Amino acid sequence: MARTDRAYRKMMRRKTMLCAEKDYRDILLRDCQEQARKKTDAYRTQLMRELYTAHPDWIPAEEAGKIVFDSRMAQFDADMAFVRKQASTRAAKAISKDPACAEREEEKLQQLQKEHEELRNQYSCRLQREISAQLTDMPGDGAEREAAVSDIERKVDAFRAEQEKAAQKQMETIRQAEDSKIRKLSDALEKLQLAPADRPGLPEGVVLRVQDLCMYFGGVHAVDGLSFDVKKGEIFGLIGPNGAGKTTVFNCITQFYKPTSGTLLFENKAGEVISLPEEKVHDVVLQGIVRTFQNVEVIREVSVLDNLLIAGHRQFTAGILSQALHLPTLKKQERIIREKALRVLEFMGLTEYRDWYAAGLPYGILKKIEIARTLMCDPQLIILDEPAAGLNDTETLELAELIRRIRDTMGCTILLVEHDMGLVMNICQTVCAISFGKLLAIGTPEEIQKDPQVQKAYLGESDEEVEK
Amino acid sequence: MTDLNVKKEYLNLVYTDCGKVSAGEKIKKLLAVPGTQYLIFGVILGVFPLLAQLGALTSSFVFAVGNTMIYAIMAIGFCLLMGYSGLASLGTAGFVGIGAYIAYYFMQVYGAPFGIAFIVTVMISLFSGVLVGFISLRIEGIYLAILTLGLSEILRNTFISLKSSIKLDMSKVRLFGVKIGEEQVYLLILALFVLLLFITSNLIRSPIGRALLSVKNSTSAAQAMGINLMKYRVLAFVISTVYAAIAGLMYMMLLRNMTTSTSTLLSMATSLNILGAVVIGGAKSLWGTTFGVFIIYGLQSTLLSKIPFFVENPAFITMITGLLIILIVMFFPGGIAQMMGNLMQKRKTAKFVANTQRRMDGYGQN
Amino acid sequence: MFAAFLSTVCGSLLSICVTALSAFSVTIIFRTSTTANFAQGSIAAFGCYVVAECLNRWGVPVYLGVLPGMIVGVVIGLFIDLMVFRKGRHVGELGKQIITMGFVSLFYGGIPLVFGNPEFIPFESFYNTTKAGVESNVVLRVFGGEIVLTKHALICAAITAVVLAALFLLLKYSKWGLGVRCTASSEFTAELMGINTHVITAISWALACALGVLAAVMYAGGGAMISTSFMGTIQVNAFLACILGGFATFYGPIVGAVLIPVLSNCVGFLANFPAFYDISRWQMVIVYVLLLAIILLKPQGLFGKKVVKKV
Repeated sequence: MARTDRAYRKMMRRKTMLCAEKDYRDILLRDCQEQARKKTDAYRTQLMRELYTAHPDWIPAEEAGKIVFDSRMAQFDADMAFVRKQASTRAAKAISKDPACAEREEEKLQQLQKEHEELRNQYSCRLQREISAQLTDMPGDGAEREAAVSDIERKVDAFRAEQEKAAQKQMETIRQAEDSKIRKLSDALEKLQLAPADRPGLPEGVVLRVQDLCMYFGGVHAVDGLSFDVKKGEIFGLIGPNGAGKTTVFNCITQFYKPTSGTLLFENKAGEVISLPEEKVHDVVLQGIVRTFQNVEVIREVSVLDNLLIAGHRQFTAGILSQALHLPTLKKQERIIREKALRVLEFMGLTEYRDWYAAGLPYGILKKIEIARTLMCDPQLIILDEPAAGLNDTETLELAELIRRIRDTMGCTILLVEHDMGLVMNICQTVCAISFGKLLAIGTPEEIQKDPQVQKAYLGESDEEVEK
Repeated sequence: MTDLNVKKEYLNLVYTDCGKVSAGEKIKKLLAVPGTQYLIFGVILGVFPLLAQLGALTSSFVFAVGNTMIYAIMAIGFCLLMGYSGLASLGTAGFVGIGAYIAYYFMQVYGAPFGIAFIVTVMISLFSGVLVGFISLRIEGIYLAILTLGLSEILRNTFISLKSSIKLDMSKVRLFGVKIGEEQVYLLILALFVLLLFITSNLIRSPIGRALLSVKNSTSAAQAMGINLMKYRVLAFVISTVYAAIAGLMYMMLLRNMTTSTSTLLSMATSLNILGAVVIGGAKSLWGTTFGVFIIYGLQSTLLSKIPFFVENPAFITMITGLLIILIVMFFPGGIAQMMGNLMQKRKTAKFVANTQRRMDGYGQN
Repeated sequence: MFAAFLSTVCGSLLSICVTALSAFSVTIIFRTSTTANFAQGSIAAFGCYVVAECLNRWGVPVYLGVLPGMIVGVVIGLFIDLMVFRKGRHVGELGKQIITMGFVSLFYGGIPLVFGNPEFIPFESFYNTTKAGVESNVVLRVFGGEIVLTKHALICAAITAVVLAALFLLLKYSKWGLGVRCTASSEFTAELMGINTHVITAISWALACALGVLAAVMYAGGGAMISTSFMGTIQVNAFLACILGGFATFYGPIVGAVLIPVLSNCVGFLANFPAFYDISRWQMVIVYVLLLAIILLKPQGLFGKKVVKKV
């Protein structure tokens, strides 16, 4: 290979820094706007408060009544829900102790529910009555109040304009400073641009080539002379009966196992062709390959957000000193990657689980976290090991949609092992069937379905004989 | 409804945020920062010698606090190693010995100033930490614990063979060219302790801390995310080794002499006690660890020394420590830190329930 | 010279017995409870104190005195298994480990409380030498030299050989042995197969603690002064023997236990050569470094198998 590893590392580092710098500029700019808005809001709140404290009878009666009523009712509902939840937990405990009393407990709960509904009706009536009683002394006198309010609005507008101007100015300076930094970085990056790769052994449009891959464990030939190509931007499915060596292929690609023999060529993020066995297992992610695991390997001791931050580990360039003392460099990077993680969480629909510890989450969510983690690494090729295992039908459909969405929005290639044939046939462009480490057939889902050898591997020899 | 005031409630609901933060909230926010907490902690401990001069405390009490802090330095390093990287090591005692012997050889024999001895301690322990870190790559779990135990024995035997009894003359010790007395040593220990607490807590909340946790939980996931197992295992060992060696150095400064073959400092007991302290306090909490060390090392010499029963039966404390370790691991795997957390959570829940109940009572009234 | 060498090697006979018994105890607990029992040494020391109490206070002969010691060992072992390990099943591997370390502190503190101030009590050996005209040593003449063995060591060797042979036969042919081997390979599966793993682990603990006490009595009888931590070195050696031989088999640790004292004495023997006259000072260091090197080269032990982790 022509490239030197160090040059690539340097380049990827610069690239990461450049991306981070761009992100950071956006964050700073958004901060400016946010701050201006917040200040204006606070100013307005303060003025209004002063006004209404001075003239309590100017408070808009109808609006006030509605808002107070809603808030009180919301509080009421929350309290009731809490009480009912407590009661149902108690009931569940009692039932688990003595199953015979299930019916009685159930009845009790329903009773409680009924009581609460009744109470709610009573309460809302009373609340309405009392609020309207208090509202009578708020005529909300017209002209004078209008004048005062519009005066405040004018003041706020002036304040807002001022704040925005200041923010614009600030943003301009930030933009200039950051742009110059970005320009410097991208200039440096361009200088680093490696010589155009002559793509040895990898035709255009192919992102991964597996050629004559062999992996032997002692006498066991887990993978035996397997070859296939994965094209850029496709969803590639690897199928096969249990023990066919699918996961072993993945482990070889991601260097968890060093293959016994064979070539693994991959087009990395810089567009170069590299030989994967030369990479260390933890450097594979730098080249753009990320994987998930068959038995979910989520870090259970930390929150979901921290799981994603761990996935962004290689994007932290701060040294140990700045980590030990929490110097601004680290704080900046932390902010950037945190924002990125939040974006990924939103993309995956996991925002509500952000601060949850992974230990107690349901299986489907854990699977999603694993996929979210891969997205944190800016992957070129995502390897999913049985993503649908343990999911129900709806979840599997959702997953299919998600995988497609990832491919389309992130522009990456996806390689997956799956037992759920529905999923594979649904989303994959190319399917490769293997058995006992050897290639059976490769082609579109339709071709694979019709392939006699694949049928034989899945259904067994005897079926065919019966057919004859 | 007696408490209903529509006007007031409306104002509070709609116009809440005036953009002003009250002084109380500001202080609360500042106190939530670990750095501030450590600083306050340091200042509190820092006035002890002053109080001793005024006669409010005995000097033996101050000495005991200093001694406890030395063990706490070992423990926070060990906390990072065990709580965050999940590597059980029983080699602490050996590494403490490195610091102690460097203190003797450099400051007593060669007459080097403290700074030089400190740097040498850090360098040598760093090197040995790297060595043990590499060992931890090949050997894991219980094997590693036993192996580090063996390593600690090697170091202990080496030290005994080198010189079985060491002594440090404080008149020979110089810090920035100034002679230092007992109080200065105490303050030095305190400064190092607070600094190391600060650094450790920062590391824990950094990518390094998260990487360590991920290596502990799942090596394969960590590797797939680009975390270099070797780098972080070695780093964890280096940190704990350097802390232990620094503790050894300070131990010699405070206690001045040691007979290696009979000293408990270099025996397995120290390694076990440090482990016990970390487990009792909570392996993932620095405050908990510090508290655990206080229970094991500080309680006896500072508070229990006033009670005759414990003076007559010092072994009782060791026994209680053992019992505490067993019970805590069985029922509170997160240690005292977890216990406190649970307690706080419970109080919060109780408060919430009480509030709800109060409101519930209100709903029924007319 | 060769006879002198042989004599040095044979001098480690008692150490071999003590280490072998301790190593077997550690292994059997490790295999059935996935825990390295760090309290092995201190439990043994506790039992040894009971024996010493019998000997010194009531004048019971050591052959009889060892029995109450071993019974105390059995009780402690059962207590640890039933009250602690069974109750804390959800505790992880590291947690169990730490619990045994907790027991070390418990016994270190407990011994002085129970037995008064107990440091350095002299101990009786299996072969009492106070009778006049009776030699406590056996002298063999080979290769033109003398090999000196104490009768105590010989008796210990005999006891150890009988005990270990019986245990290995039991492991191989008895129902209990099959249960132990099943539990060792997978506790969960063993339970599903209808093996009462509770009984298996309880017996293992009782056995291990009793053997530990026996080993401690042998060691103490060989001239060691008993103290709270007098089994410390033996324990470290037993652990290293287990790692050296590999936890995967039951005989591996025994081989390790034979190798370590022999290795240690061989290094000590070098002091006979003028070039290494000062080596005894560094004997332990050299032995440990050698062991460490071997373990690093073969992390799974001499008889262990490499396990490939599936991801």
